[in-house]
Amino acid sequence: MGRAAACVYWLPLLCPAQQNKLAVRPPQMVSIKQGGTAVESLRVEVLDGFHVNSDKPKDEFLIPLRLTWMGGPLEAKSISYPKPEEVKVGGDLLNVFTGAFDIKTEFHSPSTAPVGSAAMTGKLRYQACNSSMCFRPATIDIKVPVTIE
Amino acid sequence: MAAAAGLGLCSCSSTSSAANTRSAANQAGRKAAPDFTLTDSTGKPVKLSDFKGKVVLLNFWATWCGPCQIEIPWFIEFEQEFKSRGFEVVGVSMDDDGWKVVKPYITEHKLNYRILLGDETVSQLYGGLDALPTTFLIDRDGKFAFSPHIGLAGKNEYLSEIQSLIGTKQSVENGTRRGLRILAAAVVPGAAE
Repeated sequence: MGRAAACVYWLPLLCPAQQNKLAVRPPQMVSIKQGGTAVESLRVEVLDGFHVNSDKPKDEFLIPLRLTWMGGPLEAKSISYPKPEEVKVGGDLLNVFTGAFDIKTEFHSPSTAPVGSAAMTGKLRYQACNSSMCFRPATIDIKVPVTIE
Repeated sequence: MAAAAGLGLCSCSSTSSAANTRSAANQAGRKAAPDFTLTDSTGKPVKLSDFKGKVVLLNFWATWCGPCQIEIPWFIEFEQEFKSRGFEVVGVSMDDDGWKVVKPYITEHKLNYRILLGDETVSQLYGGLDALPTTFLIDRDGKFAFSPHIGLAGKNEYLSEIQSLIGTKQSVENGTRRGLRILAAAVVPGAAE
C-alpha cells in the first residue's frame, strides 16, 4: 500500500483530529443559603498523553487555562487552580496540568438572591499539546445547577 | 482533515530521525498547493503564487505553540543559508489575537523570513490545521513535493527535503558550501563551530 493510500485508509487513526483534549465532568448541584458562601469543585480531565497550560504559564505567549463565570445569581469570590506540574518541552520548562484535577470556585450568594433553582454559567478556555504538536485554543461551556435557600 | 485527504495532504508523519528520510512525490503526481492571499506585518498583501519559481517551506505555526518554537530557529537558519538558491520560508501564524501578539514575537525572536497572518479560509484550504506546527515543502512549480509534516519534525528531515528540491547536494559535491557545515552541524552538534 502506497504512503498516500495508507494515509487515507488510516486517516481516522493516524491524523490528529479536532476533538476535546480536555473534558469536564457534569458539575454537582451547589446548595447555598441567601447571604452565604459555598465552594464548587469543577472536575477536569485531560486526555492521556496531553497537557494543557496551567493558569500561570511561564511564557507570556502561552495561553493559560482560564475559568470565567459569565452569568447567574451568585458572585464568584475566588477561583483556585491546582499546583501545576513542571514539564520540559524542548529546552523550556512549562507549567502544565495533566490528568484529572479540580478547579475550585468560592461562590457568594447576595442576600437579595431569589430563592429557588438557578444556574451559574461559565467558560473554560484551554490550549492543549502533546510532545510533538499543539492544538488550537478551545472553550468549553460550563453550567452549574444552583439551589438558593 | 477530510479536506486534507482530498488534497492528498495527509501523511501525519512526525519523525526526528534522519533514517526516516522520506521520498519526494514524483513530479507528475504532485498536486498544486492552494493559492491564497494574506497580509504581512506591514499590511502588504502576499500571495503564495508570488513565490512560484522558488522552493517554499510553508509553516503554519502560532506564538502559543511550544513545538513550533523548537522548529523556528531551524527555519531562521534555512532562510539564511538557502535564500540565495531560490528558497524561502513562509510562516503563517494562526494566532487568534493577530499582529498584537505576532509582531512582538517576530521582534523578540528575530525572525528573518516572511510572516503572514492566517485565517480560517486558508486553514480550510490546508486541511483544517487542527494541529500545529504543520509544514509543507512546495517545489518551484508551486506543487506539494512531500506529504506534510504534522507536528514537530526533525531538522535533518527538513534539510534533506530542502536539499532534494533546491539541488544542494550538487553544490556540496562541488566544493565549499556553507550548507555542508550546517548539514554536519545537524548530524553532529557543534560541528559547525
